[in-house]
Amino acid sequence: MLKLDDITVHYGATVAVDKVSLEVNEGEFVTLIGSNGAGKSSTLRAISGLEPVVSGTITFEGKPITNTRPQSIIEHGIAHCPEGRRVFSQLNVRENLEMGAYCRSDHAGIRDDLESMLGRFPRLRERIEQPAGTLSGGEQQMLAIARALMSRPRLVMFDEPSLGLAPNFVEQVFELTAEIRAGGTTVLMVEQNAYAALELCDRSYLLETGRVVLQGTAREMRDNPDIRKAYLGG
Amino acid sequence: MDQFLQHLVNGTVLGATYALLGIGLTLIFGIMKVVNFAHGELYAFGAYVAYALVSLLQMDYFVALVLAAGLGLLLGAAIEFLLLRRCRLENIDEVMLIMIGVMIIMQNAELLAWGGVAKVVPTPFPQESIIVGGIYLSPTRLFVLGAAIVLLLAFYLVIERSRLGLAMRATFQDEDAARIVGVNVSRIYTLTFGLGSSLAAITGALLAPVFVVTPTMGDLASLKAFAIVILGGLGNIRGAALGGFALALIEEFGAAYISTAYRDAIGFLVILVVMIARPQGLFAAKERVG
Repeated sequence: MLKLDDITVHYGATVAVDKVSLEVNEGEFVTLIGSNGAGKSSTLRAISGLEPVVSGTITFEGKPITNTRPQSIIEHGIAHCPEGRRVFSQLNVRENLEMGAYCRSDHAGIRDDLESMLGRFPRLRERIEQPAGTLSGGEQQMLAIARALMSRPRLVMFDEPSLGLAPNFVEQVFELTAEIRAGGTTVLMVEQNAYAALELCDRSYLLETGRVVLQGTAREMRDNPDIRKAYLGG
Repeated sequence: MDQFLQHLVNGTVLGATYALLGIGLTLIFGIMKVVNFAHGELYAFGAYVAYALVSLLQMDYFVALVLAAGLGLLLGAAIEFLLLRRCRLENIDEVMLIMIGVMIIMQNAELLAWGGVAKVVPTPFPQESIIVGGIYLSPTRLFVLGAAIVLLLAFYLVIERSRLGLAMRATFQDEDAARIVGVNVSRIYTLTFGLGSSLAAITGALLAPVFVVTPTMGDLASLKAFAIVILGGLGNIRGAALGGFALALIEEFGAAYISTAYRDAIGFLVILVVMIARPQGLFAAKERVG
């Protein structure tokens, strides 16, 4: 479904992503793990068109999307739930959700999806008229996820969805990503918490300093002695 | 009492046009963060469009108003597209220099094209004032008030209720987040600058028959627009509207009861006090940061 072939991304003078190749098949749950600064977020940003790809190609459902503008990427069916939530803090919850459906023009469909999103996230319904900036971190993450889903994506990318959240919300967010995949949406998730990531996903890639150094099924990765030592605490 | 009401009416008329100027600038300066020194020049541009069309080409005044708004939109969009797009507001010094350049070029172009002599734009309304309960109401000024209020409401609806307004607010809050939900951010920038400029231009055209048209009329307009935006709180649309009325009423009553000579000084003195006592602006909403 999504295929990255040897892509390189520069961040100023440094190489953030160095010839990364990876693949996500339809219906899969794939994670990118690795420590801070390994190039995981930059990879997602390159797919979204937020960072220019210096070399290599990205294809989605067979179509080339390398260096496509972000507004076209979402029309292709790829949604991005960015690191740090990035909700529109001065817009209220409803407006944030409407912005999620910005690329769509089927008003009735948008209204239905908004309603079902509020059914799924009762906390958001309670705060529907509040500016998103007044929500708690966990609620903002729920909103960011709901916003990403409002575009009806076929592939959704989550960037560190658990970062900075209270433990009960972390659990909830991970359950949610699993539910989304169960609902038929393909998931590509960046996660520093390798333990949780490998519990959830089908396959995973380990990035170090911009390179893919290891890949495999979740089980293979969990059983790998290097990963156990460096990322799973022995 | 009659005097008081008369000043109140005059201040309100002036306030409506200040509000238009202020809202235009709060979009560009408050929301887009472009320190737009040329805002007053767009106002002068609108006044000269009215002069050229009405006084020179004998065109209908109302048609000229619409054209001034349209040309202001185009000119503003062109400034953003040609001059600001490349630096994308990353370097505030660069942006300020560009806008000062635009101001100087526009002001001198006006001087070159029309000369330094003040121009008069004839009003399509009767000259005699209507007298209601001892208060003199000039039909031209009443029209200015009515048109300004309609524009204020229309503009408020666009920003607060329309899809375009939503995309604008989203873009200037978090550009990357707006991109990933599919907003064409470049187009939003151009449109926002164009809309703000259009408001300045139509304000100039509206006021052209009330005051005279001169190449330097933009200077004071720019200064006042900045004062209004600061008074209302940066980027606050409602605040800019209220700030416009507030500044006009302060000026009007200050001139009436303190000193006519210090009319503008009184307004700016109040701005100074506001900046010291309430730097977030009089009407700024509470906001949680982070």
